Amino acid sequence: MNFSKSRVLYKSSLITYFLVQLMISPLFAQRDTITNYYETERIKLPKGLRAETGGMDFMPDGRLVACFHLGEVMTYNPKTKVWKKFAEGLHDPLGVAAISNTEILVMQRPELTRIKDTNNDGVADVYETVTDDFGMSGNYHEFAFGPLKDKDGNYFIALNVASNGAGIRPEIRGTYDSLSREGRMYSCVPYRGWVMKYNVKTQKLEPYASGFRSPNGLGFDAKGRLYVSDNQGDWRGTSPLYHVEKDKFYGHVASLIWKKDFPRVKPLSLPVEKLDSMRTREAIAFPHTEIAHSVTQPLLDNTGGKFGPFMGQLFIGEMDYPRLVRLLMEEVGGQMQGACVAFGDGTGLLKGNNRLVFDKNGDLWVGHNDHGWVGDEGLSRIHWKGKIPLEIMAMNLTKEGFELTFSLPVDAKIATNPSLYKFQRYYYKYHRLYGSPKTDVADVAVKEVTLSPDGKKVSFKLTELKAGYVYDLKMGELKTADGKLLMNRAIYYTLNKLK
Amino acid sequence: MYKVVFRLFVVLFAFRSWAQSDTTITLQAITGLQFDLARFAVKPNQKVKILFKNEDDMAHNLVITQPDKRLPVVETVIKMGDKAQAVNYVPPMPEVLVASKILVPNTTETITFTAPATEGVYPYVCTYPGHGYVMYGAMYVTTRPLPLLATDPNIPPSRQTLERILSSPHPFPLEYPLLYRTFMPECSPAAIAVALSASHAYCFDAGKCYLRYAWRGGFVDNTDHWKGNGNALGKIQGTIYFKDNVTYPLRVGKADKLPEVDFKGYTLSNRLPTFRYAIDGVEVRETLKALPNDEGVSRTFVFSKPTTQTVYLVTQHTDGITYKSSVGKWQNGTLTLPKGTTKCVVTMQAPPAAQGAHHGH
Repeated sequence: MNFSKSRVLYKSSLITYFLVQLMISPLFAQRDTITNYYETERIKLPKGLRAETGGMDFMPDGRLVACFHLGEVMTYNPKTKVWKKFAEGLHDPLGVAAISNTEILVMQRPELTRIKDTNNDGVADVYETVTDDFGMSGNYHEFAFGPLKDKDGNYFIALNVASNGAGIRPEIRGTYDSLSREGRMYSCVPYRGWVMKYNVKTQKLEPYASGFRSPNGLGFDAKGRLYVSDNQGDWRGTSPLYHVEKDKFYGHVASLIWKKDFPRVKPLSLPVEKLDSMRTREAIAFPHTEIAHSVTQPLLDNTGGKFGPFMGQLFIGEMDYPRLVRLLMEEVGGQMQGACVAFGDGTGLLKGNNRLVFDKNGDLWVGHNDHGWVGDEGLSRIHWKGKIPLEIMAMNLTKEGFELTFSLPVDAKIATNPSLYKFQRYYYKYHRLYGSPKTDVADVAVKEVTLSPDGKKVSFKLTELKAGYVYDLKMGELKTADGKLLMNRAIYYTLNKLK
Repeated sequence: MYKVVFRLFVVLFAFRSWAQSDTTITLQAITGLQFDLARFAVKPNQKVKILFKNEDDMAHNLVITQPDKRLPVVETVIKMGDKAQAVNYVPPMPEVLVASKILVPNTTETITFTAPATEGVYPYVCTYPGHGYVMYGAMYVTTRPLPLLATDPNIPPSRQTLERILSSPHPFPLEYPLLYRTFMPECSPAAIAVALSASHAYCFDAGKCYLRYAWRGGFVDNTDHWKGNGNALGKIQGTIYFKDNVTYPLRVGKADKLPEVDFKGYTLSNRLPTFRYAIDGVEVRETLKALPNDEGVSRTFVFSKPTTQTVYLVTQHTDGITYKSSVGKWQNGTLTLPKGTTKCVVTMQAPPAAQGAHHGH
């Protein structure tokens, strides 16, 4: 190919492109995109920081406090844009909670630590062990997450199991038990694979719930229910979010050996049906590659509407895609279940969305991480620009199907066309293998679509509705009468219980 | 197929020849008018490649001179006045062996040359006016071990304790004492590495609550540990001079009873940590400091209340350490602290560091 010729071609095609754009622009000038509603800003980092963000919170004075993989805890003043060191030398800190302007709690590999600046020079001088009452085999995969403070001042933390991709160290902390060493992930020292509660009154760390693999995210909803996320892997057909209650078992079998009164048997020797009957299912399954690969921290929108129309809902971070996920849950038959829908696509968000926190202005801060896996490094801030996008506000199960609630009235002619909606259902196997393919996949026909008089609710009657399946709904271009487009047209409902 | 074999041959050949004779040295101009390496060694006639990086926030060059010609070269540049800039502050004189250009901050130049055939100490220096009096080091052309760092007259006196200054992996400069919680060899997974200075460090076990070992010559390299998921151990830089083989050296009530321990954290005073832990319910605060000339450490034990039982410090008299205590009596390597003790300082003196050849980079 002749270089100069191609350049001429390029030039002329560019001119044509602009001309065409100019001609058709009145038609498309108003094409609705997410950037009309949300914008993402990258936070400038201090020189020399490897920003693998493990935790973030805000101090009462408005400074961000964040901890990073190389053990630093830094503060950032959003007004002056000044970064300062608060603490250093920590071991892979993966969570921070601000207590005051001079005191924080950090979850690092070996312990939950209270870190204080007692001489008011801006840098911490006291590192108190709040609790280290859990085992460590030295296996790299034994990450520790949290702390999450409940309304009574207690703290929840979560402890990873070990990976058979690496062994254990000659010296360990805690009582060794080989009963669950087989399998992909194992728990050979106490309470690996558990969510733990640090009781502030007794100052003891109490086992709270078992069955976790890599619980990289703890959060409460508006009613104070505890949610913990986990990652696709063994006993995890796809990444889940659990509503966690005391003494329940959440499916990953290795941690069962530390359960009180659990018989001295290898958990892997139990029939899968037995284990399946013991476990509590996830409130939400995030279909792998459909919406997420690796979900992180759930966070309640408690901004009172400063972040848009989603107050009272949970957001959750995602590692492998440049997006967050928004959660729409409901209680059915005494259990939480519900839907997930993408959020933030197209706002310029990075990948590796590991930690989330709202500031008092209602901006959502996102701490990025890669940690040796897929992701990104750095910090971002998502800002709502004040207009309401067309989004799904709720997905509720009905006797015969589902009802969607939208943030704005939708165009009746488009919305009542059944061919706009494609339902599919499938499930993910519960087994010791890593992940699961979509299983028993089938299209589900829409019998009837109705739109509410206010134009905000679309109801579907489906030909079939079964518990134990994810209902995957993909929609065509739904819009409002004035041309606002539905921002996210795929939604996934985890149906554990029928109405 | 032929091509692949040929390529493999070239790679093997290149590697062989590199392994036999060439050497690559990374040398950085860093903050405080100094080079990160105070000295390095090459062999006579060796092909040398220097990756010279300017990591400072001002301009620097790198000039290697003939033995003992650092100051004459530096002073010639000053005499050249305005004319020096045009020649990168490198005077055209035979005393200059090899030189870089002036590098602005955050730039790199690769300099390749053949080391002189004659063994000797060839100074390297930044000849930017004013810098050359303090910003220098020594290229040893030799096959023999280097002299003791502490008395090496060919390096800046400020560097006689520190051959190499590590660049900080953090968004702040490295300051000492320096503490890292990390995975360490021969320790429980709750390990704490503490550098008392850049060349004297110890490992405290926060799981078992005692000093595991101490070393001289550097601190710990966490590069691999910090890579990705954190599987690798931190690497000790230097030579261990003390290792506790006793396990749980502090005992309460009976010298032969292993205690229950509980780690409670640490406080920092001018960055120096004091560890807090309990031994069978007896609360202890322990601070470690370097002895003069890094001839070991002192360990100050402070009990929160006067002890109500006898406390023992059990040591192994074959560990090469000379123990002394401010309180108590020694017998067969075990120190007995009487009831009512509130404070005890134990010094652990080790034979002076055997300074080896540290010229592998």
